[in-house]
Amino acid sequence: MEIHKYEKVWLAGALLLIVGLIATVSYGAVGAGIEMVGDEGGQVDPASLDEHPKFGEPGTYQTGEDEYDVYVIAQQFSFEPGTSEPIRVPADSTVTLHVTSADVIHGFEVVGTNANTMAVPGQVATITIEVDEPGEYGLLCNEYCGSAHHAMEGSLEVVPQSEWNESMVVN
Amino acid sequence: MPADAETDTGDVVSSSSGGPGGDGPPVADRDSVDDDGYVIGSGRSGIVRRIDHDDFDPVGTLVLIAIYMAIVGVMWVFMYFVEFLGGDLTVIG
Repeated sequence: MEIHKYEKVWLAGALLLIVGLIATVSYGAVGAGIEMVGDEGGQVDPASLDEHPKFGEPGTYQTGEDEYDVYVIAQQFSFEPGTSEPIRVPADSTVTLHVTSADVIHGFEVVGTNANTMAVPGQVATITIEVDEPGEYGLLCNEYCGSAHHAMEGSLEVVPQSEWNESMVVN
Repeated sequence: MPADAETDTGDVVSSSSGGPGGDGPPVADRDSVDDDGYVIGSGRSGIVRRIDHDDFDPVGTLVLIAIYMAIVGVMWVFMYFVEFLGGDLTVIG
């Protein structure tokens, strides 16, 4: 089969695109350390979250120096904490978010960032992020969860280290 | 005029299909075929220029595809390395 010289050029270009896409995603996983949300968070009983040692009292737990765990329950149509009171974490810290749902599938998205996961009833989604600068982020549900889905939102407040105090953690 | 039209229609049918409902290859109008061959659908015109396979040179298409590839490449680099990897609160675990 005789292939035209231009056709060879754009066949090579198309192959280069495919190889380039795979290479950049591989770089992100290996070089930049981007992680996917896995199932390592384990499972919980969505009907008895109030008996769970952490989800029974959701909020920010300090686990080490500049290391915090935040337990968040998503439910129709709020995040707890997040909606009625913001999730508070200190600046310049490593935060692991543990997110689950008490009823139906929700989304948990820190607006405008890469922190984004599904909140599945019975499953804990665990994502670790590094927060640097103080500021406030929006939270929203990005999985349709019912009639008031559009109103399901909250906020994540990164508090300056100087203003951080013990009352902002559960433990 | 009606007689002419009927005659023309009859000629076309008999020369191009070879039978009622036939869908075989069209048969050339003998008048439009010269010694150099003919191009289907081109009426009576003959071949103006014969070129080899690689002499076909769609440079405009090549430029369009090159521009398209460049746009896709730049957008991918921007989207992945600037917007995604450079974004805030990247998931690291």
